Order: sequence, then C-alpha cells, then structure tokens
Amino acid sequence: MVKSISTPMRIATMAFVVFTAIFLLAPLVVVVGVSVSESQFIAFPPSGFSLRWYEEVLGSDAYVGAAWISLRVAILVTLTATFVGGAAAIALHRRKLPFSGALATFFLSPLVLPTIIYAIGMLMLWSAIFGPVSIVTLWLSHTVITIPYVVRTTLAVLSESDPFLEEAAQTMGASRLQRLWLVVVPQCRPGLIAGAFFAFNISFDEAVLALFLRKPGLTTLPVQIYGQLEFSPDPSVAAVSTIMIALTITLILVIDRLLGVQKFASA
Amino acid sequence: MADVRLTQIKKSFGQVEVLHGITLDIASGEFISLLGASGCGKTTLLRIVAGLEGVTSGTVEIAGRDVTELPPEKRDIAMMFQSYALLPHLSVSENVRFPLRMRKIGSREEQAEKVRDALETVQLGHLADRKPRQLSGGQQQRVALARAIVSRPQVLLLDEPLSNLDARLREDMQVELIEIHKRLGLTSIFVTHDQEEALSLSDRVVLLNGGKVEQEGAPSEIYSNPATGFASNFLGAANLLPATLTETAAGRAAKLEDGQVFPIETGAGEGGEVTLALRQEDATLCAEGEGQLTGVVAARIYLGARNRYVVKVAGHEVRVLTGTETLYESGARVGLQIDPARIRVLPRD
Repeated sequence: MVKSISTPMRIATMAFVVFTAIFLLAPLVVVVGVSVSESQFIAFPPSGFSLRWYEEVLGSDAYVGAAWISLRVAILVTLTATFVGGAAAIALHRRKLPFSGALATFFLSPLVLPTIIYAIGMLMLWSAIFGPVSIVTLWLSHTVITIPYVVRTTLAVLSESDPFLEEAAQTMGASRLQRLWLVVVPQCRPGLIAGAFFAFNISFDEAVLALFLRKPGLTTLPVQIYGQLEFSPDPSVAAVSTIMIALTITLILVIDRLLGVQKFASA
Repeated sequence: MADVRLTQIKKSFGQVEVLHGITLDIASGEFISLLGASGCGKTTLLRIVAGLEGVTSGTVEIAGRDVTELPPEKRDIAMMFQSYALLPHLSVSENVRFPLRMRKIGSREEQAEKVRDALETVQLGHLADRKPRQLSGGQQQRVALARAIVSRPQVLLLDEPLSNLDARLREDMQVELIEIHKRLGLTSIFVTHDQEEALSLSDRVVLLNGGKVEQEGAPSEIYSNPATGFASNFLGAANLLPATLTETAAGRAAKLEDGQVFPIETGAGEGGEVTLALRQEDATLCAEGEGQLTGVVAARIYLGARNRYVVKVAGHEVRVLTGTETLYESGARVGLQIDPARIRVLPRD
C-alpha cells in the first residue's frame, strides 16, 4: 500500500501548484483583459469592452513598422540559426572533431553569457569596424544567441537515433553527401523544427540586444512596446502583447500538427 | 555472386590486436557462418569485409578484385544489421528501393518492379506503404532482408540479424533465410554467437576464438568432431572432464581425477593428459553401480518434456539431459550410463 501523504504536506503541495499556475497565467489574463478595455488608461479589471485598441495598433505606423522589422529579423534569424546550429549539432554528434567537448560548451555558451554584456560588446565592435548598426547587426547577434537552442534540440534528437543508420546507408551505396542529405538531416528534422521555433520566438521577443542596437527606423516590436509603456502608456500595449501571445499559440499549434507537442517538448 | 577471399587479416584497435591473421576462402554462393562468443572478433571481421572497418594488414578480395582500400559504398555488398537499421522517415518500399536508388540500378519502373518482387519474397507486399515504426520486430526484420537482397549484391553480410527476435519468429526466419539463399544463391556471411543457428543455416561454420580461427568445417563435421575443448564446449553444450589415459584388461580406458576408471573407444595418445568431452544428451542416469560412472545429483531442472540434471562427478559438474520417467532428488548418488563411442577424447588445452 502507498504510504499516505500527511495533510499539511498535501496542502503545501496544492498551494505550490496553485501559486505557480497563478503567477504563470494571471499576467496573461490581465494583459488580454486590459487590451479589450474602453478606458484610456491601463487599469485592471477593464471597464467595458471594445476592440478600439486593436484598431489603434493596426492603424499605427510605429507598431506596424516595428512588427515588420521584428518579423524580418526573426525569419532571417530562424533560417541562419537553424542552418548553423543544425550543422554544428551534426558535427558535434559525430565526436570526430578535435576538442569536441570544448566545442560543444562553446556553442552553448551564449546561454550563460549575460545578454547585456554581449549587447554592449557587439555595439562597440560593430561601430568600430562597420560604423552605424543596421538590420544585419541585429540579425547576426540574434543568430548567435539562438544557435544554442537549435544545437541542443538537434543533439537531443540525434542522440536517440540508431547509430547504424549511416553505416547501413553506406553499405547500400550512399556517398558521403547522400548520407548527410538523405539519412542524417531527415533524422534531425524534429530537432531542427523545434530549434527553429525557439529561434523565431526568442528573436521576435528579444529586447536587450534590440534596445542597444536600435536606431531611428530600426525599432523592433518589443522595443516599441517598451517605449510606448515608458512614455505614453495606454491599452494599445496590451493589444500588441495579446497579438504576440496569439501568434505564439498559433505557432505551437502548427508545430503540434507537424510533429506532435510531446516530441517537441522532450527535445 | 562472387567468391570472397580474406588473406592474413590483422586488425588492431589502438594497442590491442583483435584479429591475428585470419585467412578464409569463401566460394561463390556459399553460406558461411562466423561463430564465436562476444569479443572473438567475428563482427569486426564482417565489418572488414563490408569496408566499414579498415584492416591493419592483409587483403580483402571480392570476385577476384582487391577491395581492401575501397569504402563500403564502392563495394557491391549488402548488410543486415542487428538493429535492422531501417530509415525511419522512409516507407517500407522506399527503404527497399534505397540501395537501387543509390547504386542507380534500373529505371524508376524497373526499380518499383524489383521492390515489389523483394517484398513479395519476404511476404510483406501488403505493407509497402507503412513506416518502419508501424511494423513489428519480425516484420522490420523481413523488410531489412528484402532491402539486403533487392540489388542482388555480390556478397550478403548478416550481423546477428535474428538475435532480437523471439524463439518462434527466429525459427521462421531461419527457414526463410535458407530458402532465399537457395533461390538466389548469394554468397553469404552470417555472424552469430548461437551455435544452433550457425549449424542449421550454413554450408560451413567458422568457429572463431580470441581473434583466430579455432576450427572450420561443414556443420555435421564440426559438430561431431570438435577439434579442441573450446570447440567442443562451444558447439554442443558439452561437459568437459579432465582425465588420464590408461589401459585395463578390458582395453582402453580413462581415469578421472577421483580414481574412477571407465572404458573409452577413441583416444589419441597413450598415458597422456586429456579432456573428455561428452554432450549432455549422450548420457543417462541410472541407479548407483549400474553405470560406468558414479556421481551425486546437485540439481534437477525441469524443462517440460525433459529434465536436466547437474551431477557432480569427480568434482566437476556434468549436465545430463534425460526423460522424466525416473526422478532423482538432489543429493542422491546415481550412476551415469554413457555409450563409450560418444565420448570424445581431446588433447588437454
């Protein structure tokens, strides 16, 4: 028989779960609530119901322009981070490189490096070599901080794959390139997709680098939201945030359709 | 179809030499088993024939051509792996077509035809569109077999392909393998640690031990005439008893360590130290004093139709497989009845 859990322990556990859920979900509820408010001010609970702040956001050049820049950067970052991270993961997985342990750590290091320090360094380096920052600066620096996610998810998938597949393909006459393209890459696919999702999401909502590397005409959506909140707070901020939440949920649903959230979450 | 010739193959991993100069001629169309315990080098030898492993010295020839330096994709071989190694993202028929695609054999239509044939051969035509993970282990196994034979390679290499199957499926697959081999006549090299599998499948068994060929020959020959204690132990779950050869009034005899003397028929060398090898099915138990040998029952293992006894004879455990008519309890003193002709006398290892 299972030893019964004492009542105080049971209550403590319940409380822990409930508070975790509240702190996780309540802010989202507040944001969505505020976004449909009629009020001029950010206040919760919202007064009345209206979609005027959504209209405001979609009609605003500042928001739409910033969203466009964020989207372009995020797409570029997703492509390059997935390519570089995937290639690095495949190379690391084979363990034939010298110092592959050190290399693996190096590829994951952006995860532990404080972003603000990297942002300052990137700004100074770029200015010294190339002059004013551009969308390329943002693209490259976001790629650097998202590569670790792709490397991790791809390595996770590869470590579960049959190590004999490549040899089997070799005995069936597949050349080195054919083995890479027809055997290794398809195995990596779930990891690459999961990594690409992380890369897109992180780039799309990254604020620290985007804040340091901004200039007039190069403002991403998170930076725009931050600016709006600081200088003229109104529920439009909540409306944009709600749209971003919706976008994320849509992406998760698409991924779930493509390969199942279970597999994705375990990567 | 082609013959395979291995000449003085040596292989070292770092400082450790695992193959000590193996020479083997395999005739075209022959089905040969490399038999041995794990770590004997049998898989390494197979991988060398495949080209997945290089040699330290020696040569590999396939169909008279030296392929020692060729990578696997340039050798006309096919290999079946223990894990089946089906490509998980491809359907069954795409998996079977893979070698044709890679080796550019035939047009698209001809390839489809060959794939259908191969799948029919293993009776899986109806599962062509499934993904490997939707199949049972036995079915995956047969897909792997279809994929190995579809391109009619010069040499078929099999690396313990049946070891992950349960006993029944395994027997079915053995029968299927034999039939397919008869029909296609592919030169086949089969690696296994299972002596029964090796004996029942192959034209010739090569017993490997410690990176050397211990003995080779036709299954019946190697089974009935094991040349060494190792071979005899490995090939027949044999009992090994150290003894000294002597002569008695009745003729040739062997003396065990505890002084028991009993007649034997064959015997190489006089007065020498030998090992007696006796298969567990070649002895029966009887009342004490009625047999040639006396021992004490140490354990009885019930096997359904038969019993296996472990009997202590002269300090050594002797396994005896008998019927269930008379039961002997642990600790009972019993006699062992042995046909002297069934005892093999081997030089002491």
